[in-house]
Amino acid sequence: MLEIKDVEIYYGQMKVIKEVSISVHEGELVTVIGANGAGKTTLIKAIMGLKEIKSGSIIFKEKDITNDPAWKRAEMGIGYIPEGRRVFNNLTVEENLKMGCYKIKDKDTIKKNINKAYELFPILDERKNQLANTMSGGEQQMLAIGRALVLEPRLLLIDEISMGLMPILVNTSFRIIKELNDAGITVLIVEQNANKVLKIADRGYVLETGNIVMENTAKNLMENDTVKKAYLGS
Amino acid sequence: MLLQQLVNGIMIGSVYALTAMGATLIYGILRILDIANAAAYAVGAYLGWYIYTLTNNLFLAFFLAMILTGLIGVLVEKYIYLPIISKPNVITIVPLITSVGLFTLTGDLLRLIAGPNVKSLGVKLRIGVLQIGNLRINPEWIFIIILTALLFSILWFILNKTKLGLAWRATASDSEIAQAMGVNINVSMALSYILGYGFAASAGIMVGLLYNSIYPTMGDIPSYKMLAIIVLGGLGNPVGTVLAGLLIGLSETLVAAYIGSIMPRDVIAFLVLIIVLLVKPSGLISKKNA
Repeated sequence: MLEIKDVEIYYGQMKVIKEVSISVHEGELVTVIGANGAGKTTLIKAIMGLKEIKSGSIIFKEKDITNDPAWKRAEMGIGYIPEGRRVFNNLTVEENLKMGCYKIKDKDTIKKNINKAYELFPILDERKNQLANTMSGGEQQMLAIGRALVLEPRLLLIDEISMGLMPILVNTSFRIIKELNDAGITVLIVEQNANKVLKIADRGYVLETGNIVMENTAKNLMENDTVKKAYLGS
Repeated sequence: MLLQQLVNGIMIGSVYALTAMGATLIYGILRILDIANAAAYAVGAYLGWYIYTLTNNLFLAFFLAMILTGLIGVLVEKYIYLPIISKPNVITIVPLITSVGLFTLTGDLLRLIAGPNVKSLGVKLRIGVLQIGNLRINPEWIFIIILTALLFSILWFILNKTKLGLAWRATASDSEIAQAMGVNINVSMALSYILGYGFAASAGIMVGLLYNSIYPTMGDIPSYKMLAIIVLGGLGNPVGTVLAGLLIGLSETLVAAYIGSIMPRDVIAFLVLIIVLLVKPSGLISKKNA
């Protein structure tokens, strides 16, 4: 479904992603784990179209999208949950969700999808007319997830969902992602919390200072000594 | 008489708000402090004057000048600002200096094309002076107040009730995420310029109408007063801009009427700015709470 081939990304003169290749198949839940500064956010932004790549290609559903702007990728069904939630602060909860289905034309579908998000997160329904920045971190996280889901994405890109959340919310977030994946959404998630994410993922990549140094099933990664030492804290 | 001063202040204030609205809309999306918005004010006034002398139709002059100036704005955005800000690592002072350059250039171009003399619009409105007790309202004022209210209503409607406006507000809140949600940011930017320069143009014609004079440097005072207003309004906040415009218009009028001309009128805007910022550094309405 998603094919990233030999992608290189620069910040100024500095190469932050070095010939990275990743593939995600339909229905999979794939993770890229790595330490802070390994290049995870840069990579996921490049897939969303928010960061320009120097060389390499990105193929989505057999189509080369390397040069397509972010808004076209959203139209093709790529959903995005950014690091730090980044809900639209001065928009209401409902307006945030409406932005999530910006690329959907049919009004009934929009209504249906927003109602589905309300069913999944009843608190959003209660607060639909409230400005997003008046909500707690956990509620904003639900809004960020809901905002990505209303698009009915084929592929969901998730950037560090555990960042800055209380432990209990981290667990809930991972459980929701797993459920979404079980419901048929393909997921690519970059994550620092290797412990948690490997438990729900099918396959994983290890990103170290811009290089993919390892690639295996999540189960094997969890049992790998190097991974254990570097990322699982045991 | 207080009521008279209030009416004056509101009228002047709404013209200020119109002038500054363009800069606010542009700052909201592009994060550029576009001084050249005051050039659009002068260009709009000249276009309005030209169309009026050709057609003798004030409404046509207004709307055609607004649309034309708005389109010029889109060209300026597309061919001048966008190439500059899309270069990597551009510091914010670069587009600012560009806008100052553009503003100066426009003033000189107007002088070269239309000449340095003051032009008079020579509009005769068919309605007479409205007299309610001691309150005296000139026909130009009625025209300006109605038109400003109409323009702000249209803006409010676009921003709050249309999909395009929702996308604009989302882009102003977080342009990167808005793009990831499917917003073509080029459309939001173009909208900012077409509305922004169009509004500035309408303000230019209104002032031309009010004082019956149009001249190449007429954008000079608005260029800095506009800055005071958009900062006061909370940078990039349309509602704050209207409030700030009214506050400055009223302050100027009331100070002139009751305290007298101890200082030049144009200083008052900045005094108000300094006082408000001392109390509330984020402006009247900070962006987060808009």
